[in-house]
Amino acid sequence: MGLLHYVGQRLITYVLVLFIGISITFFLPRLMPNDPIDGYIAQIQSRAGQTLSPEAAAEIRATLSELYGLEGSLFTQYLNYMRRVVFGFDFGPSFSAFPRPVSELIALALPWTLGLLTTTTVISWLLGNLIGLLAGYYHNRRLATGLEVLGVLIYPIPYYILALTLILLLAYTWKIFPISTTIRPAPLSLAQLGSILYNSALPALTLVIAGFGWNILSMKALAVSTKEEPYVSFARLKGTSDGTRMFRYVFRNALLPQVTALALSLGTIFNGALLTEMLFSYPGLGLLMRTAVGNGDYNMLYGTITMTIVAVATAALVIDLIYPLFDPRIRYR
Amino acid sequence: MIKLNNIVATYTTRRGQVNAVDGVSLEIPRGIILGIAGESGCGKSTLMKVIYGDIGYPLALSNGGVEYGFADEKGHPVTSATIRKQWFRRISYIPQSSMSSMNPVVRIREQFVDFQGPGLNKAKVLEEVRAYIRQLDLPAEAIDAYPHQLSGGMRQRVMVAMATFFQPDLILADEPTTALDVVVQKGILLLLMELQAKMRNTIIFVSHDMGVHYQITHKMLIMYAARAVEYGDSEAIFKAPLHPYTRMLIRSLPTIGDTQLREGVSGRPPSLWENLQGCRFAARCPLATELCRTRDPAFIEHRPGQFAACHYPGEQSIPLEAAA
Ligand SMILES: Nc1ncnc2c1ncn2[C@@H]1O[C@H](COP(=O)(O)OP(=O)(O)OP(=O)(O)O)[C@@H](O)[C@H]1O
Ligand code: SF4
Ligand SMILES: [Mg+2]
Repeated sequence: MGLLHYVGQRLITYVLVLFIGISITFFLPRLMPNDPIDGYIAQIQSRAGQTLSPEAAAEIRATLSELYGLEGSLFTQYLNYMRRVVFGFDFGPSFSAFPRPVSELIALALPWTLGLLTTTTVISWLLGNLIGLLAGYYHNRRLATGLEVLGVLIYPIPYYILALTLILLLAYTWKIFPISTTIRPAPLSLAQLGSILYNSALPALTLVIAGFGWNILSMKALAVSTKEEPYVSFARLKGTSDGTRMFRYVFRNALLPQVTALALSLGTIFNGALLTEMLFSYPGLGLLMRTAVGNGDYNMLYGTITMTIVAVATAALVIDLIYPLFDPRIRYR
Repeated sequence: MIKLNNIVATYTTRRGQVNAVDGVSLEIPRGIILGIAGESGCGKSTLMKVIYGDIGYPLALSNGGVEYGFADEKGHPVTSATIRKQWFRRISYIPQSSMSSMNPVVRIREQFVDFQGPGLNKAKVLEEVRAYIRQLDLPAEAIDAYPHQLSGGMRQRVMVAMATFFQPDLILADEPTTALDVVVQKGILLLLMELQAKMRNTIIFVSHDMGVHYQITHKMLIMYAARAVEYGDSEAIFKAPLHPYTRMLIRSLPTIGDTQLREGVSGRPPSLWENLQGCRFAARCPLATELCRTRDPAFIEHRPGQFAACHYPGEQSIPLEAAA
């Protein structure tokens, strides 16, 4: 019963977050002072290198208004928007890749971003927590201090500096990895898989190392304080081995806040995506977003932003739903 | 017989070193319940740690040691240096709070066997555990639960089961029932007494409650400011205490039909950081004389089996001046 209640609560939160997020993507551009359609027309004109006649401009305006759902009152616009987004994930055509629909382009880019970022986030979480556990459990030993220093050194490095350094070292000086990603979406084959791994290795490495430091430091702090809990002292007095105490007693308990932290960091991976994909011209959502901004491709922008909201909320939901597996106090209330 | 030989236990702190147990010598016969009483900070828990062999920074054994009166697998007598290897086999420990002493995210049955080393036939041992806890009035499924699913009393019963499962020679319990309500507390104490009567092992039991000591202990040790001040059979001590401090503790005990509020213990023990001279209880003792203030009373046997550290053992009124 307690568990059902818990799951119900999470699902309601999930739906609410999505609803509010998508509503904001509807209202935000409409609060902006400049009209996107004016912007489009100006762009088309400057590209065409000539001025359109007022009639032609009005015609284009009407078409665009219809296309972008800008007709009718704000309320009907909102209802239409919600219907299109919720039931069809339909954001209309992309402007920069006209007439391909935004949803199609997102569907192509999304697996790249998700694949790269979930893998690296999970790897850096696992590795960082294991190192942090060792550093915290043996915190009064020399080696453990060394492990912690690793975290202290890596944590404050800004991501772009880290990434550029690695590119310089591993792609430019020693040509181990390609400087820039050369893969483009294609049907999955063995050769394609190899090329994906080869091309993703360097961006993945930068992301793993970037996420690493924080995980080491926070796990270390948690392990040190958990080690002082009476149940760990009592386990020691029972005569349990160090390994048992470190994993079953300290790790299992210090893990709980770290699972929550994983949800939060999965939430911010799209920030990482933007920078990583730009630096490595990796064909994911971040690159799509950047192109959209560069080209004034509003539909694409709304689409990618909405996708980000959905992904972040879903990641948080998934973590919330698996959390009871780690904490029996929620499973058996 | 368990022998404590002039034990000095020292904490190292930022301020410096302090002896929380300062020269305690005792001989504890086997198969009894020994109660330890004394005000907060007098060194009861520290002495328990020393006896258990839980010595490590910031606590160090500066002098003396414990002889446990039994031999290890190789036939060597077990002492403070080797007692760790016997943890939860020949010596066990019942913690103060069962809730905070159990791992909240692991089933109790795992915590019942995880100290038993590798190469364990877990299924077989768990069967034995189930049979055993049934004897302690616990349902066999109790060990399949997580700690938070049991009541405080059941949890502490599980703790008692854990500590007695291997029938250890010596069981230490530092305020094992303070976290429980009175009725549950009584059940646990009765259980301990019952098990001790059956297994004939030694229990050392710390409590602030003199009433509990009166009910369950065979012998009592009264501690004051890191020292043993009285030791003997509980019955004799409650009937005729030798040390004025023991008298004070017993007098603070309410009896049924009391109309007046009982006299509390007034004043506070001296700080262990001071340079302590003479009898440590002198500042609070109604019998204190110049002799008490200058000469440290030795801990000696004044009546058969009853020891005390006092210049005027058993005196009830203030002695005449100038006894020196
Ligand atoms: N970890 C520690 N570091 C430094 N000093 C300590 C430490 N633990 C205890 N002490 C000091 O040692 C003295 C004895 O403490 P101990 O815990 O043995 O007292 P106690 O008789 O068990 O008291 P209580 O009845 O409150 O449990 C106290 O003065 C205390 O301040
Ligand atoms: S030695 Fe003196 S001061 Fe100390 S307890 Fe005995 S009578 Fe009191
Ligand atoms: Mg204590």
